[in-house]
Amino acid sequence: MKDESIQTQNKFIDSAIKGKILVNKCRNCGQLMLETVYYCPVCSKSDFELVEFDGVGTVVTHTIQAVAPEGFEDLDSYAWVVFSVDNTPIRASGFLPGIKVPADLPIGSKVKVTGYDKKHGLSLQKLP
Amino acid sequence: MTNSVCVLGAGSTRYGKLNESIIEIALNAAKGAIDSAGITPKEIQAGYISNVFGVADKQVHMAPVLMSNLGIPNVPGLTIESACGSGSVMFREAYANVAAGFYDCLLALGVEKVTHTGTTQSTTLFSYCSDFFYEGGNGASFPGLFASIARAYLTTHKATEEDLAYVAVKNHDNGLLNPKAHIRKKITVEDVMNSPVVASPLKVFDCCPFSDGASAVILCTEEFAKRSGKPYMKVIGSGRGASPAAVQGRADITTIPSTVAAAKQAYKMAGLRPEDIDFAEVHDCFTIAEVIDVEDLGFFKKGTGAQAAREGATRRDGRIPINPSGGLKSKGHPIGATGIGQVVEVFEQFTGAAGDRTVKDAEIALTHNFGATGASAAVHIFQKV
Repeated sequence: MKDESIQTQNKFIDSAIKGKILVNKCRNCGQLMLETVYYCPVCSKSDFELVEFDGVGTVVTHTIQAVAPEGFEDLDSYAWVVFSVDNTPIRASGFLPGIKVPADLPIGSKVKVTGYDKKHGLSLQKLP
Repeated sequence: MTNSVCVLGAGSTRYGKLNESIIEIALNAAKGAIDSAGITPKEIQAGYISNVFGVADKQVHMAPVLMSNLGIPNVPGLTIESACGSGSVMFREAYANVAAGFYDCLLALGVEKVTHTGTTQSTTLFSYCSDFFYEGGNGASFPGLFASIARAYLTTHKATEEDLAYVAVKNHDNGLLNPKAHIRKKITVEDVMNSPVVASPLKVFDCCPFSDGASAVILCTEEFAKRSGKPYMKVIGSGRGASPAAVQGRADITTIPSTVAAAKQAYKMAGLRPEDIDFAEVHDCFTIAEVIDVEDLGFFKKGTGAQAAREGATRRDGRIPINPSGGLKSKGHPIGATGIGQVVEVFEQFTGAAGDRTVKDAEIALTHNFGATGASAAVHIFQKV
């Protein structure tokens, strides 16, 4: 029995820093899931191929935080965004600085991952 | 399941900003339930306590401390946390233990004290109830998470921000009649629409307050209840459900799978359908939550919950009264207590203690309470005796 600590979040962050979304592809059933999931929700196996997808996707929903939680007060105005990752059935979420009103980010807008901020998490940028 | 389970006695503190310690708050609710049931603490065989942020008032391991302060230090206690759904999840476990025959009589009590920490720290504490790596850690507050759900709903269905405002107006109207409600203030749709944005599209009056408070009930077998000679009600349905913890993990953001699953179980157990329910206390932490709840519970078709609020179908005199207590929105949301507070409301309604907010001729009621954005949920159905 391998005596290895499970450290899924650090791998996900390493990919996000490169602008990628890290995904597990189940070698048993082919299911795709975010890399932080340790057992496949379909077949319960834990034998995965790691696949990095470009962190580009489409905005599914978002909010603009007028009252920022602790640690985010230094951001002028930002949106917390749920986006579907292109070429996958997967959704992820992150923060997108500079969004002031809903018209700045219509549902269906394209966004990309720009990195992982130690203080603010997964950072996004709106694509033209 | 072998025993028929009943609620015998209920007590609640006022919800709001309370000066007492968290243990004192809990004791006040416990005394109310014990007195209401006409029992002594010595008859309590177990204590089920729900609480989330005891650490904020320097007290975790709440159950044995409370049992000791009730003068029954040898009675086993258990503390359960399931975010904002802690009360109903705990109630389910307490119910199951009486039904299974482990106990004839127990105390089920929820308590919370957070207002002394201030808005910023409370907001931060609550964000720990999210899937923090993806949500709180990326800048989403709880209003923000429900705002993202609201935006998805308003984009998908024929509904407006003004429709959501009708939920707040209705629950504030009900809360005006509840002497223990946190915010007893009549508001208008215009007040809601003109209130400051917290997380778009949700505004201040779309959001429930941070509250302190405790609620408690005595759960027992029907034989125990009958012997007491006191009024009681039966628990006839119970269900639990789960959803992906993060909003991003849900295929449809405009429904809460845990609610749907819990309701299905509870209806099946009770042998009832949504149209058999006379009124319901549902989890309206934000106006959008109540709109989705009434659809997921089967009271209204998908996509019509907002319209139901606008048309008055959920008012006390409407087709299905929702949150006659004022709900989380007006009565308040001491998160560890909320699920039990809903049961207290049903008990008061069924025993003639609800005063002017009484739902006329009600005999069957439903409670619905969930944790976080619905990652965990419980639904219970009660029958007047």
